[in-house]
Formats: sequence, structure tokens, C-alpha cells
Amino acid sequence: MNLDLLIPEYVRNFEAYTPSRPDHLLQEEYGVSHLHRLNNNENTLGPPAAAVRVIADFSPDLAVVYPSGDSYDLREALSRRFDICRDRFLVTNGSCEAITSIIKAFCQQGDNIITADKTFAVYEWVAEFSGVEARLVPLRDYAYDPQGLLDRIDARTKIIFICNPNNPTGSYWTKQVLIDFLEKVGENRLVVVDEAYCEYVEDPEFPDAMELMERFPNVVSFRTFSKMYALAGLRAGYLTGTRDVVDVVRRTSVTYSVNVQAQMAAKAALSDDREHIAATRTMVKQARLFLCKVCTDLGLETVGGEGNYLMIKVPINDLLMYRRLMKRGMMVRSMTGFRFPGWIRVTLREMAVMESFAEALTEEIREIRNVRV
Amino acid sequence: MIKQNKQQKNASLRIPLSMPFLPLAVDFAGKGARGFAYTDKESHSLELAVEELFSFYVQKVAADSAVELEVEDQGYRLALSISFQMANPDMRAFNLVWQVNPDSEESLELLGPMIAARSVSSLRLDFGNDDRITLRMTRNRDYPTTQVAALPPPNTQGPVRLVEPSSSDLRHFSAMVSASGAPFIPGFLASPGMAADMLAAGHLNAILALRGDWIIGGVLWRPLTDSCLELYGPYLFNDDPDDVVLTLLLDEAVGRISRSRFRGLVRRQGQLQGYERFFDLLGELDLTGISGAATRSTYYYRQLREEGGGVVYCSGALATFLADQYNRLCLPRQLRENGGEQLRLRDASVLAVELEYPRSLAIIRPLCAGKDMAANLAAHLDLLQNDGINNFMVEINTGRSEDIAFTDALEATGFVPRLLIPDAGLGDLVIYEHRVRKQQS
Repeated sequence: MNLDLLIPEYVRNFEAYTPSRPDHLLQEEYGVSHLHRLNNNENTLGPPAAAVRVIADFSPDLAVVYPSGDSYDLREALSRRFDICRDRFLVTNGSCEAITSIIKAFCQQGDNIITADKTFAVYEWVAEFSGVEARLVPLRDYAYDPQGLLDRIDARTKIIFICNPNNPTGSYWTKQVLIDFLEKVGENRLVVVDEAYCEYVEDPEFPDAMELMERFPNVVSFRTFSKMYALAGLRAGYLTGTRDVVDVVRRTSVTYSVNVQAQMAAKAALSDDREHIAATRTMVKQARLFLCKVCTDLGLETVGGEGNYLMIKVPINDLLMYRRLMKRGMMVRSMTGFRFPGWIRVTLREMAVMESFAEALTEEIREIRNVRV
Repeated sequence: MIKQNKQQKNASLRIPLSMPFLPLAVDFAGKGARGFAYTDKESHSLELAVEELFSFYVQKVAADSAVELEVEDQGYRLALSISFQMANPDMRAFNLVWQVNPDSEESLELLGPMIAARSVSSLRLDFGNDDRITLRMTRNRDYPTTQVAALPPPNTQGPVRLVEPSSSDLRHFSAMVSASGAPFIPGFLASPGMAADMLAAGHLNAILALRGDWIIGGVLWRPLTDSCLELYGPYLFNDDPDDVVLTLLLDEAVGRISRSRFRGLVRRQGQLQGYERFFDLLGELDLTGISGAATRSTYYYRQLREEGGGVVYCSGALATFLADQYNRLCLPRQLRENGGEQLRLRDASVLAVELEYPRSLAIIRPLCAGKDMAANLAAHLDLLQNDGINNFMVEINTGRSEDIAFTDALEATGFVPRLLIPDAGLGDLVIYEHRVRKQQS
């Protein structure tokens, strides 16, 4: 069987993402008894208390029955929370499904999407394996460049993806920058604002894409329960847009893709997030201050704004630093895959782990510098 | 970012593998090459190689075998493959040394593959599935090696910008590299036309640094193996305080290839000051050229994606070497004693040899393990040394048990493991060098 005859060229040329191996194997291979995950920006405080209770009380009987195919109750809860009609929400299996569905819904071969070159990679990946051109605009001062994005628009541009705040740099557009951009983009293409980390931002100038939809109906917002709400293992996110946009995206979404427990936990998390968000913000702020100081003392450059992560420039190649830190039980994200060679990204967590990480990083840096001398 | 050019052209022929069809095979190679606008000299090289290989292997296959020949014009070179199937092949026949007495000049003259290898740019033998044997050769176009190009004045001013070069840009850049007197210039870069044609064919990628209208530097890369890229440069034509341009070029190159299918990037030229910001150091190898002049290559490496780990079964000197290298490079591999599987070996081993006469280099790759491995290696060494080859390397894939089975034989014949290139083959690639021959040369 000649598979090449069956595979579209844009799939044949696509390199699939390889996720990291399970922790127990990594621990065995790196010879460590523990592994602190500082690589995926998970919130290690855990989910809000109400969500924890729902998960703990989850009855096996509920696993027997199919979930609500359109996450009805969760959409109802989102509707009450944001005062937006429930039909303008589409609940997805994490934001990756939302990205896939919206590209499938609006793009065909010959079309293009535009985003930054150094951002969450899934916009680019989905476009590529769907036969859609991904136009990548360099960041300017570690932030999305509005004019650079506008310059790449043409008649076949269907969607512009803005990661706000940007992963991995933490930079963000203020409300005014986003409004100026939307006015220039016009109404003939969608602007997706990926707000995966929006709950971490306290700046009053930070925009709320949902609010802007009344004025700019081409705006679509992506949010997730994986980050602030600490439900990454259950996979639940949601897309918000005008009713017309959501109706179209629903056509290319898979019904039943969000499981029962995820829907229940997400709904509970929404109902009980005030203290959880405050506690998480406090933890992240404390961790950021601490780690920035450690890096300053070590003479290491950092880049970070909002979100629960910090980029650190290291004096050796980032993949080697990743392996060296793994040998100390610290799993960071190497940034070569984000087109930031020489940088690592570290999840900001509780102080006990940050202190252990700081110790490991300090020892590594000293060792590297001693060898050089 | 690895560009694929779809404009490549090819032609193929399927005929019986028997002597009456030899003229047709030779004609196909020659007329195919001329059809793709190769010169008489270039075409004749391929005719000679096909004649030698066809004649050599026709004696070793069953009477009703068929052979497929394919020529592909890749712009800067013609690739020709000869592919045939053999049921229950006598594997010994695929060794260069089969039925050859290295002390007999007459015997050497009969050695078809050796003669073929001398007339083309590269030749290698691959075993595929279903007992399919493929001989792959390439013949580069002949390019003039020198072209005059002015270097930028030392005081060029202004911001640096990075560009993807056109073929014309790269032709000019290649000439500048030669004019700069850079110590390590790969063959394709020493021939500006060849580099330009390789870029056009999608077999080479490059980024150039410009200040104003001047090209002030550049970096290039191309596949080394299916999983590994090789990087050339950066070549810089101006002083570069604080390595600003060097860092720009390397970061841009790594950024562009970071989402490709390749898992690693190797640089094997001279030393690179401050390499640790970009690469891991693998080690050094010395080569002695035809003229006897020695060149030292420093091997640097960087992974392009996070390490997946793995298990390696081996023993003896290789296990010691690997343990040391894995520890030094912090590579998560579990080394397990393989305990030796000599009893299960077939009688005859097979080695593939890739010959690069311009570098006086033989790269030996195990194809099949066998009870005669040490004798076979020794016979290859004798033969190749008599043919004037100065440098011998053996490549061992840690993910291939047939390769690992050779480790004792390698030790017994004077080979020592010198370098580990992670993820460069099926598993990691260990490069053995022949200690005694190096000392003699």
C-alpha cells in the first residue's frame, strides 16, 4: 500500500508534535526520584474548591451516559457569568479544538491566517496541516506587532490570531491598541483573541474581547479552564463570538468532545473562583518577584509580563539546560520550539518549588561558569 | 524550514538484469544525463559507473531478475539508482572485498564497485525491504571553483537585517566566502554555481546578514541524515564585537528549523568561540587529505526538540564510551548489557562503503552482522588502504542490533569510538575511527 498516494501533500510534509513522555519514565531515564513540572504553565494550587468537590464526588454511574453534546449547563453558566446569550458560546475540548474548528470552518486551501512567529504554536500547526498558509509576523520588543500583522493581510486572509497575553513572552495589547487594530482590520476577516491567560492580568487597561464583540462582530474570544482554573487534565475551553460566527464554527466541531466530568467541574469552577483567582495571582506575583531577583543576581536576562510563566535567557543552549535541569528533577520548557533558542520558560508556582528551582538553576549556572573559567 | 522543490525531473527504465541488456543500461545512463543537459564528461562518468556495477552484480543474481534504473536531475547533480531484488542473496557478494585478493592488481581491476566509485561523486549500497538492493550514486556537475567578489569595507554602518537569499545572492555570497579566506569551506561553497543550484533545488538553505547593500555574513544548512541537519558557518566578513551578527544568524537559523522534522543540528568545521551558547561539544576528528595535509573538524551539536529518552543494548568498549558520553551530555539513555548474540549470527557479514575520494575518506556502515565481522572489516581496510584511502570511519547506529553486533569486531580490528552524534540515525550515531591507520598515515 502506497500511503503517499492517499496523503495530502500538506499532511505529508507536516511534522507531528511529540509530547513529553510520562513522568515515571522521565524520572527513570534522568535518574531522579521526583520531577517538578515547570513546563506547561499548570496552576499547581489546584482547581477551585467547588470543582475539587465535584471531581471527588464524581459517580461512576455518570460515566455510563454520554455527556451533554453541546455542554448545555456549562454554556448556561457561562451565559449567566458574562451576561451573553448561551448560544454565543461553544464549549470545546481545550482551546486546541477551538483553533482547529474555527480554521476548518472558515479556511480552505489558498486562504491564509496571520499570527506572530513566536507565540503559541497551535495556530500555525493547525493551519499547516489543513493546507492553509500560516503567515508569521516577527514580534517587536517581544510583543505582537500590530502594523506588521496589518501589512500581511490580503484578500485571502481569513483569521488573525492574537495571543493576549502572549505565550511565552507575557506581553499584551492594551484595550486601546486592540481597538485601533480592529478598526484598521475592518470587518472582512475574523480576529481571534486567545485569552487563555487573561485571568492572571490585573491591569485595568487589559482588554476584554467579549466586551468588544458588540462593536466589532468579527472578534472571537478563546478561553480555557486549563490554566487559571487548573483543569488541564480534563480539557475544557470555550469560544465566544457572535451567534452567526458560533453557528458556523459549530458545524466543524465534534459533538460530545467534552466529557461529563469536565463539564461539571468547569461549571463548578466558574461558580467559585473569586478566592481561587486571588490566591493564584498572589502566588504568581510572589514567585515572579522571587525568580526575577534570583535571575538578576545571577546576571540572567528575563522576559515576562503577565501569565504564570517567565522566560529566562541561559548561557548555554536551552535544550542542554533542559536536560541538565531534568537531572535535578526540574522540568522546564526549552524555547527552541518557540523560536527562542537560548531561552527557557518556567512556570511560576508555589514558593517551595520556586526555591528548589532557584537552587538548581544557581548551581547549574555556577557550574557552567566555573567550567568556562 | 526545509524547502522542497517540486521541479525536479526524472526518468526510469526497467529491464532484465542480464548481460545482453548491459548496453541499454549504459545508454540509458548516458543519454539520460545528456538529456538533462549534463556535459559529455559528466555523462560519461555515469556510463562508466553503470557499466561496472551492472557487470559486477549481473553475475550474482538469478537469471530472471529485473533491474530498475532511475536518473533524477537535481539541478546541481544527477542522482542515479540501480535497484534489483534478490531472493536468498549470497550476502557476501555485496562486500567490496568479495573474491578479491588485495595483493593482486589484476584482481583489483576487476572490482567493479571500486571503479564505479572513483568515477562518480558518491556511491552507496542500501538494503531495503523484500531483499531489495539499491545502489545510489550521484555525479555533481563540474563547476568552476573561483569567482571574484569584493568583501565589504571594514566600516560598514547601519542596522543589520537578515534575508533569505536568492540563488544569485548565494552565488555572490559563496564567492565572498572564498575571497575571505575562511579556513573551512565545504566543496559546494567553494563552487559558487553549485551552492546556487543546490539552493534552487531545495537541498540547501541559507540566511544572509546585510548591512546597507553589503552582505556582511551568512549561515547555511542542509540535511546530514534523515533526522539531522548540518550547519555551515556563520561566515562573517566584518569584525563582530560581542558576536552580535553571529548570534543573530544562529538564532534565526535555529528558529527556522526548530519546527522541522529534524531532531538535531551538527556543525563540524573549525572551533567556534563561545560555542556553548549555541551548541554542545561532541569532540574532534582529524582527517588526512590526499595531499597528506591534516584537517581537524570540531563537532558541535544541538538538539532541536526536547529529549525523548531511550534504551541502548550494548557491551564492552562501546558501553563504556556511551556511558561517558551520555553522562557528559546529560542524555537520558538506559544502557543495558546485550549479553552477546554471537550464536545467532549468520556466516557472512556485509559492509556498505561510501567513498569520498576527494577527502580520502571511506565511511563504512554495517548492513548485516555475521561470524566473519572482524575478518571482513580487516579485508576492507586492506583493500581501501591499497586504493590510497587515508581515513576510515565506521558509523554505528545504537538503535540497530545488526550494528551493535559489530562492536567487538571493531575493537579487534583497531577501531575506537570517537564521537557520539545524538539522534542522528536509528537512535544515536557512534563514529569509530581507525586508530592504527591514523597513526600510520
